[in-house]
Amino acid sequence: MANVLAVLEVRNGALRKGSAELLAAARRLADASGGTVDALVCSTGAVNTDTLGAAGADRVLSASHADFANYCPDGTVATVASVSAQYRAIVVSASATGKDLAPRIAARINAPCAMDVTSVDLSGDTIRVVRPVYAGKALQTVDLRGSTVIAVRPGAYAGLGAGKAGANVSITVPPFTKRLDVTGIRTANTGLLDVAEARVVISGGRGLGDPKHFVLLEELAAAFGGEAAVGASRAVVDAGWAEHGAQVGQTGKTVAPELYIAVGISGAIQHLAGMRTAKVIVAINRDKDAPIFKVADYGIVGDLFEVVPALTAAVKQVKAH
Amino acid sequence: MKIAVCLRRTPDTTAKIVIAAGGTSIDETGVKFVPNPYDEYAIEAAIALKEKAGAGETVVVALGADSVQETLRTALAMGIDRAVHLQGNASADGLENARALADHVRGGGYDLVLFGKLAVDDYGQQTGAMVAELLELPCATAITMLEIADGRATVEREVEGGVEQATCALPAVFTCDKGLNNPRLPSLKGIMAARKKPFDIAPVTVAAGAVTVASLVLPPERAAGRIVGEGAAAVPALMQLLVSDAKVI
Amino acid sequence: MGVVLPVRHQAPLPTTLIRAETPRAEAIELDVLIVGGGPAGLACAIQLARSAPDLGVGVLEKAGSLGEHSLSGAVINPIALRALFPDKPDSEFPFRQRVEGEAVYFMTAAGSLRIPTPPTMKNHGNYTVSLCELVRWLGEQAEALGVNIFPGFPAESLLVDGQRVIGVRTVAGGLDRDRNPTDVFQEPTDLTAKVVVLAEGTRGPLAQAWRDWQQVGSDNPQIFALGVKEVWEIPQPLDRVIHTLGWPLPRDAFGGSWCYPMGPNQVSIGLVVGLDYHDAGLDVHESLQRMKLHPLFRGLLQGGTLLEWGAKTIPEGGYYAIPHRLSGDGVMMIGDTAGLVDVPSLKGIHYAMESGMLAATAIVAALQQHGGGGGAHLAAYDQAVRQSRIVGDMHVTRNMRLAFKDGFVGGVVKAGLMTISRGAFPGGRIAMAADAEAPRETHADTPFVPDNVLTFSKVDAVFKSGNATRDTIPSHLVVGRDITGDVADFYAHLCPAGVYERQGDTLRVNPPNCVDCKATDVLGPRWTPREGGSGPRYRLM
Repeated sequence: MANVLAVLEVRNGALRKGSAELLAAARRLADASGGTVDALVCSTGAVNTDTLGAAGADRVLSASHADFANYCPDGTVATVASVSAQYRAIVVSASATGKDLAPRIAARINAPCAMDVTSVDLSGDTIRVVRPVYAGKALQTVDLRGSTVIAVRPGAYAGLGAGKAGANVSITVPPFTKRLDVTGIRTANTGLLDVAEARVVISGGRGLGDPKHFVLLEELAAAFGGEAAVGASRAVVDAGWAEHGAQVGQTGKTVAPELYIAVGISGAIQHLAGMRTAKVIVAINRDKDAPIFKVADYGIVGDLFEVVPALTAAVKQVKAH
Repeated sequence: MKIAVCLRRTPDTTAKIVIAAGGTSIDETGVKFVPNPYDEYAIEAAIALKEKAGAGETVVVALGADSVQETLRTALAMGIDRAVHLQGNASADGLENARALADHVRGGGYDLVLFGKLAVDDYGQQTGAMVAELLELPCATAITMLEIADGRATVEREVEGGVEQATCALPAVFTCDKGLNNPRLPSLKGIMAARKKPFDIAPVTVAAGAVTVASLVLPPERAAGRIVGEGAAAVPALMQLLVSDAKVI
Repeated sequence: MGVVLPVRHQAPLPTTLIRAETPRAEAIELDVLIVGGGPAGLACAIQLARSAPDLGVGVLEKAGSLGEHSLSGAVINPIALRALFPDKPDSEFPFRQRVEGEAVYFMTAAGSLRIPTPPTMKNHGNYTVSLCELVRWLGEQAEALGVNIFPGFPAESLLVDGQRVIGVRTVAGGLDRDRNPTDVFQEPTDLTAKVVVLAEGTRGPLAQAWRDWQQVGSDNPQIFALGVKEVWEIPQPLDRVIHTLGWPLPRDAFGGSWCYPMGPNQVSIGLVVGLDYHDAGLDVHESLQRMKLHPLFRGLLQGGTLLEWGAKTIPEGGYYAIPHRLSGDGVMMIGDTAGLVDVPSLKGIHYAMESGMLAATAIVAALQQHGGGGGAHLAAYDQAVRQSRIVGDMHVTRNMRLAFKDGFVGGVVKAGLMTISRGAFPGGRIAMAADAEAPRETHADTPFVPDNVLTFSKVDAVFKSGNATRDTIPSHLVVGRDITGDVADFYAHLCPAGVYERQGDTLRVNPPNCVDCKATDVLGPRWTPREGGSGPRYRLM
C-alpha cells in the first residue's frame, strides 16, 4: 500500500496555488494501491487548510514553528524526515521552492529523487515517472524503487474537486539546525518584463511594416496586466525596429511561455527554434501559407491591424471580469 | 578561500537529439560536448571570489568517464587552479553520484562547494542540494546573487513572483543560476597554463542506486494547429479557445 | 539591363592587417605559430610535434572549436593521412565510406545524361569524409602530441619587424556594435614565434595582406568558386558518388554539383560555381535549391531531412595562380591559403595536408640549423612544394579550369584535349583576370519561393549552419564605394547567407549572418577577422 505525503508550500500565511494540483498527483499514486494521502503544511500556525480535504488529502498534518514564517528548508526537511517512514512517496510541487526542497529530503531519508515529473504511476514495487530532459527535446521514463521523492511539474495534473473533508492532525517539529536563514522575498524588479520570463509573449515581425506599429503589440501586452512581454523576430531586430533583448529565436532568446502570440511573423526556422516549446502558440498573419501556421495551435489569417486591436479589446474584457 | 566546483559534461544545447539503439540514452555520434552551461556560472563565481580574496585555491571536480577530462581542462583554461577526475560511471540515481562527490569533498577544507543549478542533459537538479545534506552544510539552490563577508554568505534566488534572500555561515554549498555572473572565456594564456596545472585522477565506484532509466523517447510532434478564422471576426472564437480549452488566459 | 563591375565597388584591403608594432609585454612566445586549424595547419602541427617534440607549437583557430568552420565535399585521397600516420590502418581514420561507384551526368532542366567519367574525376580507392570530423580527429591527434590548440582565437593582424613576420595579434572579444568593451571584453593577445605558418584556408586576409606588402605575385591572379553544401538524412542509401555539369548553371558559368554518400543514411549535396560568372543575378544558394527539385535528386531527398547547411569559397586558379613565393622571412603559406587545389580532380585536402607536412620539415631543418634566426631560412619549403606531387599534379591540369573562362562547350573540348596530352596542349598559359574584374549583367529577377520541405530560404539555411553569432558584435564587413541598387542586388545574390539585402536603392548588411565563406571578399565587401567563435558551427560539413 502506497501512502503518499504531499508537502505543500505556504507563503505569506497562505497555501500557494498549485497545492490542489499536487494533491491530485498524490491521489493518483495512492489510489493505485488503496493508500492514503497526507498533506503537510509547515507554517507559523494560521493557515487556512479547509480546501485540502476536498482536493484529495485524507489528513492535513500541520507543523507549526516560529521559523516557518519564511521558507525554512532545514526545518521542513527535519519535519518531513520525522514522519517519512510512513510514506512510500513524498511529493512536492516542482516550483522554485519544491525543487530546492526535494533533493534535501531525498538525501536526508536516503531515497531517490525525480524532478519536474509530468506523470506518475505506481506499478508493483516501482514508481514510474515521466520527465522532460534535454531542454524538452526528449522524454525520459524512470523507474524508482523504494521510498521516493518526486517533484511534480505545475500543471501536470488538474486539481480534484470532489473529495471529503480531511482530518486535521498537528505534528511536532523536531529540533533542527537552521543552517540557511531565509530572510524574506523582495518583489522582483518591476521594470519591463523580459521575454524569457514572461507568462505571455507577443512577438512582432516584418509584417508590422513599420517600427511605430509595435505600439499595437505593447497595447495587447498591457491588456494582460503585467504578465506579458513584447518580443521580436530577428528580421525586425536587425532592421533596428526592436531591441536585441527582445529577439526571440536561435541567436536571441529561447522562450517557453504559456502563451505565445506571433504577429506578422512568417516563421523562419531560426525563429521557430526559439519559441516552439511555448505551451500555446497563436499566429496572426496575412499570408495563409506562412510557415508559422504549421506550428501554431491557433491561427487567424488576416490584417493584423484589425485583428490585434480586436484581440486587445477582448483580452481587456476577459481580464476585467 | 578554498572553493570546489562540481562540473558536468553535457551536449551543446543546440545539439540535435537522436535516441541511441537501446532506447535509454542519446546517440552521441557527432554531438559536441561542452561544460554544462550552468556550471560555468559556478566556475566564474569561484574564480572571481578567489581573485577578490587574493588567496586560496579553486578546484574543479567531475565524476564520469574519461571524456570528462576535456571538460575539466576547459575549466582549468578559464582559470581554475586544479582538477580532480573521479573516474567511474555515474549512476542514474543522483543520490549515489552525490555520495561519491560528497566523499571526495568531505575533509577537503572547502569554504564553498559550488554547482550549476542543473545539468542540461538529464535535468536532474538534485546533486548539489544532496551533497549539502550529506555534508550537513548550509545550502541554497539556483542562486542569482552571492556575496561573501565575514565568513557569511548572502544569496538571492528567484522564486515565483519575487526574489528570495537568505544568509548562512560558511562553509556552504550553492547551486548557480543564470544571472549570477557572466562567465569568462578561456584566455590564450589560460589554455597554455591549463596543460601544466595539477590534474588528479581518482577511481571511484558509484553504486547503481534505486533508479533505472526505462526509456528515452522524442516528444510527440506538435499536433497540427488550425486556422480559427479570418480577420477580426475570428477573435471571439480564438478567445473562447484560449480561455476555455487551452486555459492560458 | 545594366552592368556591375565588381572591382569598381570594392574597398581596398584594410591596412590594419599588417602591424609594425612591438609585441605587448605579456605576449605569448612560441617557436611555431600556425594560423588556422584546418587539415593543412593541423598536419603541419602534428608533423612538427613528432619530429621536434621540444618546439613550442600553437594553432590559432577562429572557430569556437575545431572543425566548425571547415567545409568540403568531400571525397578524400587517403595518401596524405597514410603518410602522416604510417602506423595507423585506414580503419582508424575518420572516413565515412569508401567510394564504390561513381557517375557523372550532364543535366538539363528536365533531364540528365550520363557521361563518361573524366579521368581526373575517377575516385576509386578514395573515401568520403566530413571535413569537420576529419579536422576534429586531427585536432585530437595534435593535442595528444602536446600541440597548443587555441580555438576561438582569430588572428587579427600580422606583427612585423622590418621585413620579418614576428607574430600575430588576436581579435578583441566582447565589443559592442560601436566597438566599446562590454563586461565580457577580452583584450587582444599578441603571440610571437620564430615562424608563423599561414594556414587560413581559402582567401585568408593575413596571407593577402602579406603578399600585397611583400609584393608576392603569381602568373595569374587567384580565382575562386563558391560552393554551397547541404547534408541530408535520407531514407535510402546512395550507392555512388555523383557529379553533374550543366543545369542549373547558365552555359557561361563554370561549375557543377556533387552528391556523395556519407554512410547508410546521409548524403552530402552541393553546388560550386566559379566567381567569374556573368549574370549578376546568379545565386548559388537558390540554384542549389532549384537543383534539389530536379528528378535526379528529388527522389533521393524526398522524405529526408536537411541536417546542416554551409558555404565556402575554393581557390580555383590552379598552377598559374600559385604565389611566386610560398615563404618569406618568418612566414610561410600552406594549403588553400597557398592555392594548392587541383580543380579538375576536385581535390585539395590531401594537398593541404602534404603542404603542411613539407612546411614542418622545412621549419625543423631551419630551426635546427639556424636556431632563433631560422625564420629567415624557409625557402627550402618552396623548393619542396615545387618538387612535390602537389605542384606536379597541378601542372598537368594547369590550364583546365582556365579553359572554361569563355564558356562551357569550348571548355569541355579544350579540357578533353588537355587530358589526352597531359596538359601539353594547347601549351602556354591561359591568362585569367581576377574574378572582380569580370563585368556582370543585371536582369529583372524572378524571386525564388522555398517550399520549406526540400528547399529553404537563406535565413533558414543560416540557422542550419549552426550560426549563433552574437548579434551585437561590431560589423566585420567593409563595404566599398558607390553602392547602387544594382550592386546591392548583386551582393544579395552572391552572398549565400543573406548577409546583404537591397532596400530601395541602398544596401543593408546583417553581419551576424555571415558564415565566413569569403565570397564577397572576392567580389565585394571585404571580410575581416571578427570575435572568436562567431560564424557557423558546422558538425557535419
